[in-house]
Amino acid sequence: MVEITHLDSMPKASVRAADGTAAAAALGLNFGSSERRGDTLVVRIRPDEWYLLGDGAPAMAASLDLSGFASMVDTSHSRTAVRVTGDRAADTLAKLGSADFGDHMTPNRAALGNGIAGVTCDIVRDDQSGVRSYLLLLDGSFVTYFLGALHDAASEF
Amino acid sequence: MSYRLPAPLGNAIDRSSAISFTWNGKKLKGFEGDTIASALLANGEHILGRSMKYHRPRGVLTADFWDPNTTVQVDDEPNVRASHRKLADGMAVSAQNVWPSLKFDVKAANGLVGRFLTAGFYYKTFMKPAKLWPTYEHVLAKFAPGGAVDLNTPHGRYDKRYAHPDVVVAGGGPSGMAAALAAAEAGSSVMLVEHEHQLGGHLLWGSDDDQVAATELAASCEAAGVEILSNSTVAGRYEDNWISISQRNHPGVIERLIKARAKTLVVAAGTIERPYVFQGNDLPGVMTSGGAQRLIRMYGVKPGTRAVVFTANESGDSAVEALQSAGISIARVVDARSGEGITSASGSKSRVKRVTLSDGATVDCDLLVTAVGWTTPTSLLNMAGDRPVYDADAARFFPAGPPDNVLATGGMVGDGSRNELIAHGRATGELAAGRAVVVRHRIQAATARATPVDGQEPDYPADERTPLDRARHPEVYRSTTHGIVDYSEDVSSKDLFSAAGEGFDSVELIKRFTTATMGPSQGKLETVNTVAMLAEARNETIAEVGTTMWRPPYAPISLGALAGRINEPTRVSVLQSWHEANGATPILAGQWVRPEHYGDPAAEVLNTRTNVGIIDVTPLGKLDLQGPDVPKLLSLLYTNKWMALPIGGVRYGLMCAEDGVVLDDGVTARLDEEHYLMTTTSSGAAKIWHWIEMWLQTEHPDWQVHVTPVTTGLTSINIAGPNSRELLGRLTDDIDLDPDAFPYMNVRRGTIAGVENCIAWRIGFTGELSYEIHVPSGHAVHVWGQLLEQGADLGVKAFGLEAQRIMRLEKGHFIVGQDTDGLSKAPVTGLNPLLKLDKDDWAGMPEVAWTIESGDHPVIVACQPDNGSVVPEEAAQILRAGTTEIVGRITSSRMSPTLNRSICLAQVTKEFATPGTSLEVLLVSGERITATVQEHHAHFDPEGARLRG
Repeated sequence: MVEITHLDSMPKASVRAADGTAAAAALGLNFGSSERRGDTLVVRIRPDEWYLLGDGAPAMAASLDLSGFASMVDTSHSRTAVRVTGDRAADTLAKLGSADFGDHMTPNRAALGNGIAGVTCDIVRDDQSGVRSYLLLLDGSFVTYFLGALHDAASEF
Repeated sequence: MSYRLPAPLGNAIDRSSAISFTWNGKKLKGFEGDTIASALLANGEHILGRSMKYHRPRGVLTADFWDPNTTVQVDDEPNVRASHRKLADGMAVSAQNVWPSLKFDVKAANGLVGRFLTAGFYYKTFMKPAKLWPTYEHVLAKFAPGGAVDLNTPHGRYDKRYAHPDVVVAGGGPSGMAAALAAAEAGSSVMLVEHEHQLGGHLLWGSDDDQVAATELAASCEAAGVEILSNSTVAGRYEDNWISISQRNHPGVIERLIKARAKTLVVAAGTIERPYVFQGNDLPGVMTSGGAQRLIRMYGVKPGTRAVVFTANESGDSAVEALQSAGISIARVVDARSGEGITSASGSKSRVKRVTLSDGATVDCDLLVTAVGWTTPTSLLNMAGDRPVYDADAARFFPAGPPDNVLATGGMVGDGSRNELIAHGRATGELAAGRAVVVRHRIQAATARATPVDGQEPDYPADERTPLDRARHPEVYRSTTHGIVDYSEDVSSKDLFSAAGEGFDSVELIKRFTTATMGPSQGKLETVNTVAMLAEARNETIAEVGTTMWRPPYAPISLGALAGRINEPTRVSVLQSWHEANGATPILAGQWVRPEHYGDPAAEVLNTRTNVGIIDVTPLGKLDLQGPDVPKLLSLLYTNKWMALPIGGVRYGLMCAEDGVVLDDGVTARLDEEHYLMTTTSSGAAKIWHWIEMWLQTEHPDWQVHVTPVTTGLTSINIAGPNSRELLGRLTDDIDLDPDAFPYMNVRRGTIAGVENCIAWRIGFTGELSYEIHVPSGHAVHVWGQLLEQGADLGVKAFGLEAQRIMRLEKGHFIVGQDTDGLSKAPVTGLNPLLKLDKDDWAGMPEVAWTIESGDHPVIVACQPDNGSVVPEEAAQILRAGTTEIVGRITSSRMSPTLNRSICLAQVTKEFATPGTSLEVLLVSGERITATVQEHHAHFDPEGARLRG
């Protein structure tokens, strides 16, 4: 069983910060990992880029010290989020993307970039109550097509 | 007469489940588990097809996937392998490429002119006279092999998936199963791929103990969590163990392509029995020892009634036992190990009737079984870089030594009892698992993920397996007579000798010249015999001749499987629902689904020119640029100057690739001290983002610039027309729209229709007074609705892409990629004032400077047909008058509703670019018309009074 949910209204912010800046120090994390801080999911998706996701994202973004070479862009309207949850979630994604979504390479809290059904996605393994779950972040203009491709892939499960 | 044998023979069929099918229209019955071929043989049908070239009757040879001449038509599906495809209820099976019938095929007349159809005849014939080639082609097409394609057949569903197993095992025989089981027990994730329908390999047609062992091993694999892919083929091995697997039994799809990245590949493909080359070796009733045993033990089918067995090994001996168990009379066992041999087989058109032995004696029979040796299918190892080595004592090739992440086991590397093969397989599986652990550790250590890899890298396991012995085997390839070598392509040993005589001394060349090994069997039955024939013809050893290079695919894959699911991403703006609800005709522009028009693009143009129009231009690429070094970046990428753009200012820019060719264009605004917003063409957004990142990351990592794509986040609406200022003014209080406060080529931020953080640009592509507003997309539907509601009395109407394109052409704006092409360097655009050669550097500057200096380039001009009612086609050629010399082409053309005449942009050589020059345009119809070069690019309002108003 696979559950696919479009999280259309999830607030999102992209923070870019160079090493040594206050923002980078505050956000921390290893590249390719994520952490829940209250109602915000903090994701270090690239060496100098973090995503702040969830209801707490605007407040956390506003509280960051962006001095030095650091910047923030509200991506709530440009990126959208789709959650794929269930025991066969990894199998569903494996029909559409080439990354290894297994536990060895993508344990809970891992973050990576991969093309899914031809759409560039940032992916966060974000298990829900012990059930395997992946949060997919993509350009919002693709979402109608993307949901169709996901449902098609998941139909065998 | 029924050829079905009683139970317990037939371990693959379920006699309680009868199946009805037809063969060439005749109703027959089979059982669940039968292949089409086994069911046909059980019903006494021994001719299953005709050979490709000579249309000789052919029957079952190997009774497995590789059977070369049992391809049939099943319903609307051509080229089905009857010896592999399982029988299904209601199947309509028919012979293919025969006329008028399988038993009487007129095309068999080819055999009468066989001496003119020898290998490579098509390289030497049908050459002259050349004018007759269409006739030749028409006739030859009638002889093309293969079944009939029904163009009305619905598209089938195919699929694709990726996998990252620790170990992939290719081959589900005893060694393969043992390897998979051992690897799984060692903790590896394992895929076991078997191209037949059941695991077991040769154990399936072996002794009772063999069959029990196969069942137990298969059950153990399943219990250990091995992913078993039966009726699937490992089709290729690529760099870093990228493995392609064709899966034919996945529910709901015809075929599925699995792209697996295996940490270790175990190749346990077994061996394939070679046919013997002699006169009459393709008669129905001549088959391999494995084929005969499969028919008897797996399908409970008697392959004949009176047999001659020609054997050089144990498989022939066990075939004798199988034949006897089936009640088949053994007329003679001819043992090659004792120096005995056969020279020819003869018979009627339907099957073998007599065998002539090398001592001249003849034996009557209806079945001739041969067991003359093995081919090692080293394809996957070849793909990993291994070149097999011939062992004359064992009469077969063996791997020389594949790379560390590819291991071979089983019959591919030696011989042994069932237990010895299983033991070698287990050792191989353990080794594969151990090496996979190391590879996985390395991948994890090299990849950023949430959990750092634990501990030190394990030691890389050495190969300490006890090798399998190699059984001695006589070299038995050809009798004293000639016979068929490639059954799929109808290539005989005589053809190969002839080709060798013509000078084809390389096995790779002779393969291509004769097409031997190039049929559906992909050399599995033919390669070693081909090598042996060439060696014999040239008086060389097989080792000296060597083998051909086996490349993917290991077995044919359908094009549908290669395509998989067709995922072609499309994009829509948040206003798409409104467009659809209001009658927009959609058009796919790049990936974007956009409204082409709402019914009447000409009316949309006129309304915009007269009143006010709004268009959804969200696909316009938008990049948020932040940082102190943005001006340096813009100066590097654009051809003009950017160091002094004021806050609130907007500038147009042209980008070139390093070769000076126009890459993109757009406007960029300075929103704040260190904050800019760049726009690109709709199709160029992703390309320019990557272009910028490439420069920042490789050439100027010291520059402090952050780039974020915001194309979708900001819904872009262009408000154009004389009433646009009035309309926008009704929706904003904090943006001063006075022309002096907000002049052309400026940008402001403010609140529009109650939505904060909007951006308003005073720019336009239509040539009208216009504002382009960028609205946070979550609020775009509201703002769009407010524009329509508040502007009702101003005549506001939506317009589509076609109206915009007409208006931009009226205004003379070129489109990158339409009015320019992959050869158009910046001077082609005529925007020379923007090409600042006095800057230190910019991308493409040296090439552009050289192009300007040489002066040898076409230019974009506006032109108007002298007959204003004619619209030349886009891409219509422009010719030197009265000649066929091409001097340019129409790049854009439309009928202008504003000017009520046709208008164009064109690229022409400089000689024809002077205003007033008459151009000769060749229409698609062949008619030539004249057009006149205009003074300005703009056909309408060349002074720009309207847009600056």
